[in-house]
Amino acid sequence: MAEQYSSFQSGTTLWFLQRVTAAVLVVTLMFHFFWLHFVNHAAEITFQGTAYRMDQLGYLVTILLFLFTAAFHGVNGVYNALINQGLTGTPKQVLKWVLVVGGVVLVIQGIRVAATMAGGPV
Amino acid sequence: MSQSYDRGLIEDFGRWTEFSAGMWAWVFHKFTGWVLIGYLFAHIAVLSSALSGPAVYTQTIGGLESILLVRILEVGLLAVAVFHTLNGIRLLLVDLGIGLESQDKSFYASLIVTAVIVVASVPNFLGGAF
Amino acid sequence: MSTETPDTETSEVASPQTRRLKAKAARKAEREAASEGEIEGETVELKIFRYDPEIADKQEPRFDTFYVPRFEGMTVLDALMDARDRYDTTLTFRHSCRQAVCGSDALFVNGSQRLGCKTQIADLQEPVQIEPLPHRPVVKDLVVDMEHFYDQMRSVEPFFDPDDLPPADQQQHQTPENREKVKTSTRCIWCGACMSSCNIAAGDNQYLGPAAINKAYRFYFDEREGEQRQKERLEIIEQEHGVWRCQTQFSCTEVCPKDIPLTEHIQELKREAVKNNLKFW
Repeated sequence: MAEQYSSFQSGTTLWFLQRVTAAVLVVTLMFHFFWLHFVNHAAEITFQGTAYRMDQLGYLVTILLFLFTAAFHGVNGVYNALINQGLTGTPKQVLKWVLVVGGVVLVIQGIRVAATMAGGPV
Repeated sequence: MSQSYDRGLIEDFGRWTEFSAGMWAWVFHKFTGWVLIGYLFAHIAVLSSALSGPAVYTQTIGGLESILLVRILEVGLLAVAVFHTLNGIRLLLVDLGIGLESQDKSFYASLIVTAVIVVASVPNFLGGAF
Repeated sequence: MSTETPDTETSEVASPQTRRLKAKAARKAEREAASEGEIEGETVELKIFRYDPEIADKQEPRFDTFYVPRFEGMTVLDALMDARDRYDTTLTFRHSCRQAVCGSDALFVNGSQRLGCKTQIADLQEPVQIEPLPHRPVVKDLVVDMEHFYDQMRSVEPFFDPDDLPPADQQQHQTPENREKVKTSTRCIWCGACMSSCNIAAGDNQYLGPAAINKAYRFYFDEREGEQRQKERLEIIEQEHGVWRCQTQFSCTEVCPKDIPLTEHIQELKREAVKNNLKFW
């Protein structure tokens, strides 16, 4: 139990950020669903339509915020689920970094896609 | 303590009929969480077709959307996302110290509201799919 | 037991205690209505978990059935003692005070963690199935190994530790308000029901558990301890396997025989940890 008396209280910060991102996601996720299934329809999506939406700065910023918060919330959620299951020691450290890398890759790819849709450089 | 008997975790899910509301909430939140993170990766992968040009993107999405199973799975995605969001709001309130004594009622409420929203959205999601 | 009686006859303040007392009154009314004019059944059927590594027959756990005579106000503990004394003196279980203060007889009865001495047979469906606490290794019959539970409790330094003691002719004062705040957390009898009901405690061996965190709460919020001590206590419980592992499943609060709002206490400590952390930003 007296494992890590480190002053970097990682448990606290991650827990808090999970809640903060949750609050942001409630709004952005519901907006995204609403906009892309009720206002526009998924079956009618074309690149032009997407580019039109992504061209608007407010929309683009919202989508990017959505991407960052969702990636963090999801990856941190998986990490917590695994610790709750009893993951410890080396497998835990390995999985932690796999998740971090996975999350970073997701965000970078997401930014590339968004940039392309908004008519910017790849 | 020689030879103490470990009955293991099996009885947990074997006793699912005795689960409390709080436990169901935890199980469902975890399950929907896994589905959503899995979907997030798949979603970005699909959208990456945009990097191959407008035509590829439009065809990929259009192609997927023309498959009936995909349309039905989208309703499932809605259910999963709505439940995770509503139960998540319930958890945020609990974290703030609000509504702890009615936590089981708020769980049932999230289930019911999820069902209502999903049923009400079916026409919108499956309209024109058949 | 004075911390257990509600302030008024019909308290409307939502708490585990009022919830439990309301349910108890409802069950009593139901029982009385159902048993009007009925002749009560003479015996109770018990199904009890048996395990004994030293007896060939009982090395594989099994359930033994006992029929014991019923009497009004009979508890699970009464039934167990009768079964043991009348039929099988090898039936082994912990018990001591018979009045819900020692915490010895926490058992898994009909699917929930309950104290044997505090559970009425009349409230249970027959056959009454009695098992040892889940998620603890079984030593024999209904006795489980509680060492891990005690380890977690000890790790939060569960003792009163003020910076200085008052001079010999004075007392160490605590305001009534402060006492009120920690009142429910002082009731813990270390029975282990809560930890046994927590799925996270079952999966994560390092999780402190609701009882230990509640103990930390009891001292953290006691105004008679110093600020430095408070900081040290917080550091213990704000580690990865401390308060953060709680997923607000609420099972602990539901099974606590002393009506301690465990989840609420854990949540308060989470908020304290966050508030303290934010100060440094």
